[in-house]
Amino acid sequence: MSKKHSPNLSRRKRSVRLTLALMGAGAAVTLAGCADDNSYESYEAPHVTGVAFSDPNPYRDVEECVEAKVYTRQTCETSYADSLKAAPRFDSLEACEQAHGEGACAPPTQEHLQASGGSQNSGGGWFAPALMGYMVGNMMSASSNGSKLHSAYHEPVYRNRENRGNWNAATAATTTRLAQRHNEVSKSVAATGRSITKQRAATAKSMGTQRSGFGSRSSARGGFGS
Amino acid sequence: MLRVAVNQRPNWKELAANLGFHFHTIEGEPYWTEDAYYQFTMEQVEKDIEDPTEALHELCLDAVDRICDSDALLSRLAIPEFMWGSIRESWRSGQPHLYGRMDFAYSGTGPAKLLELNYDTPTSIYEAGFFQWVWLEQVIEQNGLPRHADQFNSIQERLIAALAHIGQRLEGGELYFSSIKDQIEDRATVEYLQDCAVQAGLAAPFIYMEDIGHRPGSEHGCFVDLDNQPIRALFKLYPWEEMNTEAFGRLVPKLATHWFEPPWKAILSNKAILPLLWELNEGHPNLLPAFYDPEPNKTLPAGWVRKPFFSREGSNIELVTPGGEREFVSGPYTDSPHIIQAYHPMPRFGDRHALIGSWVVGDKACGIGIREDVGRITKDTSCFVPHAIL
Repeated sequence: MSKKHSPNLSRRKRSVRLTLALMGAGAAVTLAGCADDNSYESYEAPHVTGVAFSDPNPYRDVEECVEAKVYTRQTCETSYADSLKAAPRFDSLEACEQAHGEGACAPPTQEHLQASGGSQNSGGGWFAPALMGYMVGNMMSASSNGSKLHSAYHEPVYRNRENRGNWNAATAATTTRLAQRHNEVSKSVAATGRSITKQRAATAKSMGTQRSGFGSRSSARGGFGS
Repeated sequence: MLRVAVNQRPNWKELAANLGFHFHTIEGEPYWTEDAYYQFTMEQVEKDIEDPTEALHELCLDAVDRICDSDALLSRLAIPEFMWGSIRESWRSGQPHLYGRMDFAYSGTGPAKLLELNYDTPTSIYEAGFFQWVWLEQVIEQNGLPRHADQFNSIQERLIAALAHIGQRLEGGELYFSSIKDQIEDRATVEYLQDCAVQAGLAAPFIYMEDIGHRPGSEHGCFVDLDNQPIRALFKLYPWEEMNTEAFGRLVPKLATHWFEPPWKAILSNKAILPLLWELNEGHPNLLPAFYDPEPNKTLPAGWVRKPFFSREGSNIELVTPGGEREFVSGPYTDSPHIIQAYHPMPRFGDRHALIGSWVVGDKACGIGIREDVGRITKDTSCFVPHAIL
């Protein structure tokens, strides 16, 4: 309880960023991408059948990203701001260094504070691992209605005790971590998509299996959420 | 705690449709409403809701521990004896749970009073965890609220973390999700939880409860899906007490399928837990006096509420205010014993009563959702209203 009420901790009580992976017509994109799609017609909404990720490109700052001419300035800027926002916060330098290594942490910069959207005077009093740069890549998701959707993903690159501030080591480790994560996400999206498809096509082919052993009183009682 | 009028986002219905929120209007009546929000101070949220939620959650887990040790207490909860082994086994082996919601009467001052626990099949989590969050982000963006406005809401983040934790314990990281047919709201809630599971790296296939299969002769196997593949782990938005009375109920202890919520949650989703919590913690500031009701057919005295052990969405609840006003919501839950609980008024804003649903994910209090109703009993049709901390 003391950690929760420490006056030094950021008092923010809500998550920084949320995404949906499966739900709705614009699934697998963050919020901004979803708002202008009006294609919803019935409850059987299309579902994401697969996602693919391009290799991420490392940039030390927004200008390097813009100059590379792979992404638009807006993508470069938003990804950078979101990377800044994603920094884990610690209420002491010691706690931060314990997690990220000696010399890896700093109090928030002006950029941090702006990205966090907090008022200037609410900032300070916390520590975060120093952002060395960030990585940006493309995510493509395919939907069961045949539509394909592109969006960008991004990932902060921090200084830590393994990379000791070495840019190549830091980006290599981040690339590996992202590849593992993307592999897991792709696998589970594909497996989930397959099962939805299978289920929709399912027939009474399974001989010898008893069903309807649950849900027998459902029509009498309506929904079961509470 | 204030109820403050605010402009609706002009495009919110389209947005809702695009974000998979298809039950924002139920049978022509509004369910999600955003022409007002509830405003709290940080102190109200942290001291009066978050801390008590975590403290009560601990008391609940203590109670589960005691009840698991006692045949007498298990039988007081009207849980059939064939499930006792599974309940004890799931508790003692430390099977994790996913989530629960505590419903509080709280007016902004004084201790929040626990009205009930929804610890087996709680809903409104998509509205609270996701759509409410989007609402605040957009209202701030559209200058309807200042930039420092906040919200008690890391529900989705916690769900993903809790599902990732569960996923590590499951073979192949696979967790089936299930609800009953023809219930859009239940299906959408499960779809949202599947979404979180996928984000947590799990494989999250869906099967309707009615479609779950059993192959006779495979007594030590698992329930099976529509392709007769084993269901090793399944999240069900379907209550234990219903399963216990159904054809497959008695197979649950014999088969190896892991359940979420785990069987031990049957203890906490049961309103008979309320008198037991009171008995074990009499006088606790966040608990209301509650007792087993030996004579459910007798007239309810003023200042008391009568609730069946098993009921949802306000059904079959009867209350008489200290002033003698009686309210009753009819429903199908007529076949279980009852408890009585001391009446505690919910705060009133205009002609609406507000109820605070406080979410616990894993074992952490992580957000709230507010429901309001003209009546004193919150029902499935009660409106969901977003909140902000200022």
